[in-house]
Amino acid sequence: MEASTTKKASKFNHGIIDCDVHQGVKSYDDLKPYMPRVWWDRLKAHNATLPFLMFRPIPLERNDAAPGNGLPSGSDPEFAKVDLLDRYNIERAILTGNLLSISAHNNPDYAAALASAFNDYTMDTWIPSDERWLGSIVVATQDPLLAAKEIDRLGSHPRVVQVLLTSASREPYGQRRYYPIYEAAARNNLVIGIHGGGEGDGINPSTTAAGYPTTNFERHNILAIHHMSQLNSIVCEGVFERFPTLKVAFIEGGLAWLPHLMWRMDKNFRAMRNEVPWLKYKPSEYILKHVRLTTQPIEEPDNKELVQMFQLMHAEKTVMFSTDYPHWDNDTPLFVLNKLPEEMRRRVAYENAAEMYQLQERGLLAGGVAK
Amino acid sequence: MTKHDVVGVEELEAGACKITTIEGKSIGVYYNGNEYYAIRNVCPHQQVELCKGKFTGTTLESKPHEYIYGREGEILTCPWHGWEFDVKTGKALVDPDRYRVKVYDVSIENNRVLVHMD
Ligand code: FES
Repeated sequence: MEASTTKKASKFNHGIIDCDVHQGVKSYDDLKPYMPRVWWDRLKAHNATLPFLMFRPIPLERNDAAPGNGLPSGSDPEFAKVDLLDRYNIERAILTGNLLSISAHNNPDYAAALASAFNDYTMDTWIPSDERWLGSIVVATQDPLLAAKEIDRLGSHPRVVQVLLTSASREPYGQRRYYPIYEAAARNNLVIGIHGGGEGDGINPSTTAAGYPTTNFERHNILAIHHMSQLNSIVCEGVFERFPTLKVAFIEGGLAWLPHLMWRMDKNFRAMRNEVPWLKYKPSEYILKHVRLTTQPIEEPDNKELVQMFQLMHAEKTVMFSTDYPHWDNDTPLFVLNKLPEEMRRRVAYENAAEMYQLQERGLLAGGVAK
Repeated sequence: MTKHDVVGVEELEAGACKITTIEGKSIGVYYNGNEYYAIRNVCPHQQVELCKGKFTGTTLESKPHEYIYGREGEILTCPWHGWEFDVKTGKALVDPDRYRVKVYDVSIENNRVLVHMD
């Protein structure tokens, strides 16, 4: 296979599915109608209650993606439609929201109420605004029973395709206390999406495994460590044996670490299988069957190495395209996808996501291009 | 070489950038209070509109945990991934030989800012 070097968007004769778009609220006060009065006063103190420890020299939200009138980037569906979906010919986009430190909150009841309100807001304002938007139900993982209730409350909505957890958590996600979340996801036929967020904030463990870094640069270099830890835990603890239909998407955690982890897991499995007698297959086989990763923020080696990396991780099965719009480190489809050979590009841009989220079966594709 | 009249000197405040199209190219004309610069409005990284970024200064080379601020008004930071460019040369501060954005000569004639295209 030859790596394509074309820069032309017109080369795409299929659409794109974008697996990570961050919709937000115009103001946290917009959530009041969806929340019990008792929590209202906290909304204004959203950032004070859960401060980001890390100063970000480049603001999280891209300034040039602001819809105007002083509104925050990602808060206006009409603007985002033109600025993202139309501009890049994106056929479907999965909304992942901006409550990305919800599971870091010390108060499980407030966190659950905030997540519910945000989900209702998304259903009322974003989902009806365009059929290209597909929804995720964000849940706070502090109390898995409350999270399961929330999944059952909204899980049958025809345009909801995913349950969203943040990659930072008090305990690794393979552990049994999280089973109610997986049961509810399986019951509602939803993908579990694990998205970066909340590392080192609130009740969550440190930003890196060795402690708190000094700069956002250092933090961002090591982001993937939380995704690696969660994937390791989920596979080794036998979640996919317990929930055989479950699929997990790792969102915004980079990619290049996957071959490393798969190789290491398979090697160790040969020696330590007797610790995990419930695993019937090699760890990498569970990953190839149940797990997908999104592209952004993709590592940026030269093109040849990028294609090699994609081959090592079986990207034709495992990788789904994402922009991360409107965040500062988002990737344009022209940048990532144009570096890939045609066959791989089609899988990554469209088909892997269509299969993962069963968009064809759910009648959620426009073009019906997916096989 | 053709000179293109872009804007009157009194119309461009210090720190402001006017984005305009010249010979089919999007170009930002920026005034830092001292000099005028014309910069291609395309980031060499992912081809987004670079001149919508921030014109600012930066931390100068220093020893570990020493911070020296300088070059105020001489650095253009991309609105996307924050890569920094020298407004005078168009070169990226990191990897200047690999990543650069085109800059054009500018002259002031009769209180008008003119961009030179070759
Ligand atoms: S597009 Fe300018 S830094 Fe990435």
